[in-house]
Amino acid sequence: MDFSYTETELAFQTELRTWLEENLPEGWIDGNRYIPEDNQQKGEFLREWQRKLSEGGWAGISWPKQYGGRGASLIEEVIYEQEMARVKAPPVLNIIGTAMVGPTILQIGTEQQKERYIPKILNGEEIWSQGYSEPNAGSDLAAVQTKAVKKGDKWSINGQKIWTSYAHLSDRCFLLVRTDNTGKKHEGMTAFLIDMHQEGVETRTIRSINDRRDFNEVFFNDAVAYDADVVGEVNNGWKVSLTLLSHERVGVARQTFRLQKQFDELVDLAKTLTSNGNSLIEDPIVRQELASFRAKTKALLFSYYRHLTTAIRTGRPGPEGSMDKLASSELGQKMLAYAMSLHGSSNTLWKDDALVDPSWQHDYLRSFAYTIEGGTSEIQKNIVAERILGLPKDIKY
Amino acid sequence: MDFALNEEQIMFQETTRQFLESKGDLAISRSYMEGNEQVSEELWDGLGKLGFMGINVPESYGGISLGALSLVPIFEEMGRAVVPGPYPETLAFAVPLLETYGSEAQKNAYLPQISQGKRKFTLAMEESGDKNSSPANIQTRAERRGEEYLVQGSKILVPHADIADTLIVPVRTGGSHSEYGISLLLIDTDQVSLELKTTQSMDETRKMFSVTFQEVKVPKTQLLGPENAGWPILQFGLYHLNAALCSTMVGGMDRTVDMATEYAKTREQFGQPIGRFQAVKHKIVDMKLALENARSLSYYAAWAVENNSEDMAEAVSMARSYTSEAYIDSAGSNIQIHGGMGFTWEYNCHLFLKRARFLENYLGSPRYHRETVASELGW
Ligand SMILES: Cc1cc2nc3c(=O)[nH]c(=O)nc-3n(C[C@H](O)[C@H](O)[C@H](O)COP(=O)(O)OP(=O)(O)OC[C@H]3O[C@@H](n4cnc5c(N)ncnc54)[C@H](O)[C@@H]3O)c2cc1C
Repeated sequence: MDFSYTETELAFQTELRTWLEENLPEGWIDGNRYIPEDNQQKGEFLREWQRKLSEGGWAGISWPKQYGGRGASLIEEVIYEQEMARVKAPPVLNIIGTAMVGPTILQIGTEQQKERYIPKILNGEEIWSQGYSEPNAGSDLAAVQTKAVKKGDKWSINGQKIWTSYAHLSDRCFLLVRTDNTGKKHEGMTAFLIDMHQEGVETRTIRSINDRRDFNEVFFNDAVAYDADVVGEVNNGWKVSLTLLSHERVGVARQTFRLQKQFDELVDLAKTLTSNGNSLIEDPIVRQELASFRAKTKALLFSYYRHLTTAIRTGRPGPEGSMDKLASSELGQKMLAYAMSLHGSSNTLWKDDALVDPSWQHDYLRSFAYTIEGGTSEIQKNIVAERILGLPKDIKY
Repeated sequence: MDFALNEEQIMFQETTRQFLESKGDLAISRSYMEGNEQVSEELWDGLGKLGFMGINVPESYGGISLGALSLVPIFEEMGRAVVPGPYPETLAFAVPLLETYGSEAQKNAYLPQISQGKRKFTLAMEESGDKNSSPANIQTRAERRGEEYLVQGSKILVPHADIADTLIVPVRTGGSHSEYGISLLLIDTDQVSLELKTTQSMDETRKMFSVTFQEVKVPKTQLLGPENAGWPILQFGLYHLNAALCSTMVGGMDRTVDMATEYAKTREQFGQPIGRFQAVKHKIVDMKLALENARSLSYYAAWAVENNSEDMAEAVSMARSYTSEAYIDSAGSNIQIHGGMGFTWEYNCHLFLKRARFLENYLGSPRYHRETVASELGW
């Protein structure tokens, strides 16, 4: 067992830290973290950050050098997420592009697709979204009904996606649609790389419980895609979509480190808030709760390291990622709920009137998505039960 | 960065499991519970012959000089089979204490014997006062009379006092409630006469005794570490011991997850295995997550004691508070998943619950350990 980083890894960390200090928006590191509320301005802000990351060589770090990445190791990816969490860096707008679509194209895309898409993903010129979920296909992803019909070398797409994060800011979408209705539902799906700036595509933002408009309904009315936009083979979309999801490890790392940071802030919150003139951190019950969260937060981190070790030793990430995702999302939700309780009667005051920092109220509400997005906790539990413990599979229709 | 057992440690795990299985696995404990103490003696002998009792004993005293991390897989396996015997007390309390604080004579007298599997230690710490885990609770007195100490008082919850060759006994040589004044004595059971009384513990896989010292004479050379300054030494030993107890609990949890999984795959109701019902399936996943959390924390605790790291106290208390409670939950869920079968004496589910309950508050309750975490972090 060894918890230290090698010199190369430490140098990587220092380089990133220095870069962040020089390139984060003014005042960000000191806690002045302002992201515009207005969607237009927010889009510009996030694009600007994406551009900076790309220019600095800090987008898509795990990509091979020949495609403009750094060829970062798994550990370097971890350090990256750790550092980003430490400074609470702004979200990476093109995360779907750099973390999932890019690696998928590199893995199974055509040469032409690599040439056409890869450089623009990395430099942030083209922002990507992921169009999987539909009103009637959420957990049951294989139930997608949005249809693509071939006419010559063109495909005509009709139907609707929903919950598509940042679709309104995206240039292209990794879209999963039905191309054949005759067989079993896992068969007959195809993944397309489609252009979002066309007449047949309409996005409507959806307001979420934290009063943001980050995700969308997306309507397709005779939208157009070409043969060259098909990823993998026609009717092989299920496998392709799983390839994409296998690149989700970055998301799990992010959640794990975000939680470490949130815990530290929770302790600071308990030190700041008072009850009857005493700091809450002196309250024996609060101390008990916080110590318990501390153990769980650390357990999560160590489990993550253990799974990482396995991935490094075997050369591939296993289903343990589902355990990390499940544990971190559930714990994150509980911890933010506790932060609310500590706020006392002012807990619902938010935005400009928040008692301490409005991000508590925002994150609390946001935490309800942790256990839904990227596969709900119930679905993760099924994966752990079936793939790790070998318990019987649910009956599916 | 590497956070996993190494090859040698994995080998220790496999060898221990094979050995325990060859001796009957859970049948060892069942037999012990029915009064057959010989099984536990045979086990000790066998492990000694395999060289496992010398794993963390320094080479110069006949061991192989490995650390707390190398004991982790062995304790996990012992926990999986809820074996009887003062293994943690001997390997993860006596050995590090003797190695770090023992006089040369004490090391020579005890360490080679331990590594040969010929000497068992236990800890006689708890007393009946209500100031658990505080120095004020230690009221057994030892008075210096020339070359001897005269020990007077009584201890409770002493595991395996009947078979232990040496007791490590925190006593008061000074002060009345303070940390100052506590000393540790090594009391060889064949040299003195002690009053032992079995206490009926629901965890019958570990015999518990109360031990009364009536003017027991102990040579002053049996003092472990300096006089009156034994409290921090005791804490040092307890970090090791608690880390080891965590590993035994992780092993127990591991077994409950296996048992529940296996049963859920084979037991059928409504024409299907009960493991297909999500209420059952997801409960087992919760057990599995708790197990892996506990394992991660216990690995880290062992790493911290092995390396004497600055956050050792926090690391151990974190692991201990989490694991103690998680083990109880896991053992309880295991009973639930087995239905009526789980409630029977005959089936093994209850062994884990009872061991978990015994360990819950032994050497510091979860609440005590959480408060330790809080104060270690400067809150
Ligand atoms: C903030 C946010 C961002 C998102 N971004 C994207 C995106 O960019 N692209 C995209 O494609 N999707 C996105 N999603 C959608 C997300 O993947 C789905 O919401 C999720 O998969 C669940 O689907 P659903 O909402 O239809 O819920 P349902 O599948 O209808 O589930 C409803 C409830 O039933 C439970 N349930 C369903 N099936 C089972 C089962 N077999 N066993 C037990 N319980 C079950 C679920 O766990 C849940 O509690 C996003 C969602 C959120 C909240």
